[in-house]
Amino acid sequence: MKSFLQILLPLRFLRHLLLLLALFAALFPIAWMASMAFKPMAEWTAASGDLTWLPKAPTLGNFQYIFTGVSDDYPSSTAMEKTAWRPIIASLLVSGIGTLIATIAGTLAAYGFSRFDRGRGLPLVLAQQRLFPPLAVIIPVMIMWAYLDLIDSWWGLALIYGIVTLPFAFWLMLTFLDEVPVELEEAALIEGARPYRVFLRVTLPLVKPALATTLLFVFILNWSDYVLALMLTREQWVTIPVFMNDLNSAQTGQLYGAKAALGLIAIVPPMIVGMLIQKHLVRGLTFGALKQ
Amino acid sequence: MSAGSESPAVAAATAAAGGGRLADALGPRLTRRIGIATTLPTQLLLIFIIAFPTLVTVYISLTAWTPLDGITWVQAYTSWSWFDNYIEIFQDGRLGGAILRTLFIVAVAVTSEFLLGFGLALLFVDKFAFRPIYYSLFLLPMMVVPAVSGYMFLILFQSTGPINQLISFVTGHPFEMVWLTNRTTATIAVIAADVWQWTPMMFLILLAGLIGVPQDQIKAARLLGASWGQILTRISLPRIRAVIVIAIGIRFIEALKLFDVMFIMTKGGPGVATETLSLYIYKRTFGDLEWAYVAAIGLTIVIVMSLAAIATLSAVRRIKARRAAAA
Repeated sequence: MKSFLQILLPLRFLRHLLLLLALFAALFPIAWMASMAFKPMAEWTAASGDLTWLPKAPTLGNFQYIFTGVSDDYPSSTAMEKTAWRPIIASLLVSGIGTLIATIAGTLAAYGFSRFDRGRGLPLVLAQQRLFPPLAVIIPVMIMWAYLDLIDSWWGLALIYGIVTLPFAFWLMLTFLDEVPVELEEAALIEGARPYRVFLRVTLPLVKPALATTLLFVFILNWSDYVLALMLTREQWVTIPVFMNDLNSAQTGQLYGAKAALGLIAIVPPMIVGMLIQKHLVRGLTFGALKQ
Repeated sequence: MSAGSESPAVAAATAAAGGGRLADALGPRLTRRIGIATTLPTQLLLIFIIAFPTLVTVYISLTAWTPLDGITWVQAYTSWSWFDNYIEIFQDGRLGGAILRTLFIVAVAVTSEFLLGFGLALLFVDKFAFRPIYYSLFLLPMMVVPAVSGYMFLILFQSTGPINQLISFVTGHPFEMVWLTNRTTATIAVIAADVWQWTPMMFLILLAGLIGVPQDQIKAARLLGASWGQILTRISLPRIRAVIVIAIGIRFIEALKLFDVMFIMTKGGPGVATETLSLYIYKRTFGDLEWAYVAAIGLTIVIVMSLAAIATLSAVRRIKARRAAAA
């Protein structure tokens, strides 16, 4: 069977050559940061022509610094009181709760829409929420958050995360729910089973994988946020990306090694999760309009 | 990550088929009650995030209030200024510059992402050794937290960073470009970061479209002696037109939000060379604390983008209706 690629590239190795080239471009920045995370301060910048791929004197000093505030490798002037523990916990907690809010509300609404034709305006109104740049609509949110005393609280940030990712949860669950045949649920209802039991015992088990996909997808979105945390937290509940701003020192400038170490910690969870839900990424990214 | 003015239209059309599939099994009263109960949390969250913020935005955008006034926003009426803020929008050269710059950067970035993503997708259409491994690895940049990719590229584009070293290595001459302090190269650097991160998304969506093109048609065309280019332009491209529109539409909307990477890499600098709409708004919000003016800008953006989305949606519907009528 010949497809059009075999015509364009008669030589199989040419394809692999192109792919390897592209792969280098795709992975180089990540690899460089990963390597940087283990480099001692002296190797963060290098004289021209002195390209060091791997650290010459690998060290865990960068990780030691972000978790304890001091490092054997760093000058004592860089010591900081805050460590990365709290931002990591904040990121996990806030993204987690935000994901639960979005997924629970979104799944219920998608169920109501799919099965009982309720909330006909929801799909478009929710999609519309994703249209605007967050910064264009953040001022009233900041005013409201200040008024409700939600600034720099984990529940305040989790609430806005839940609202912002709700459209994705709704649309994903809607397309999954619409794919499930309703005959089983119908039969159970006609038999006289209580509707909430049918939802919990029949519908939910049918869409369990879909629910897991939605949870993971929405979690990545929340974990990736920067703007909202920048605007709505101050000190107590700053998340990982915002905390990275603080990894500077008056004498040496940007602490690249420390930033790379924390950056590496920040990108590992979404990468693993992304691999797990690879199959459904297209659906999630296109609001369910396309499937793989 | 994404949203679109096109995709909801497509998805809404498919979703309508499933609308209310259990309604008959329950009878109208129970259907209504369950429908209301299940959609209630979402409706409440939407009202919470739309109603009050809209009112506040309209209200303070008609005043000259700033948090520096020492009064709460409720008392903003004391500096009532009617439409001064909206008039200022049209006289604000820096805003106009930021909008044009945003459109330019978005156009260059999205075009590059499309071309690279499409090329890559073409390489993936049929099966070959290690395909799943390549595929997974190509998706990785998309999973990187955007703020982190900002720091990544900040490190890469330092004058002593690896990009300069790679160029020196390849050309054999010492190359010491100070990327982020020059207008042109700073723009190139931020576009490079966006292209790096989001080409995988284009690739992913376009590949899903290309794989959906029926192989038997391609085979038949091959047997009839069609060239590779003919197959691409006559069979594959027309087949995936909708997918292309969705992919570009989503990327376009998302790219308009551009903030994280620029804020970290350049803060809009040098000067205003990479100051996008979001960065400009950020500076007016936190640097100048001109909240009333920013509220007016925000409301204008919301109205303009909503109108554009409605126009696009109705255009799509009209084309669909015409096609359905023709068929």
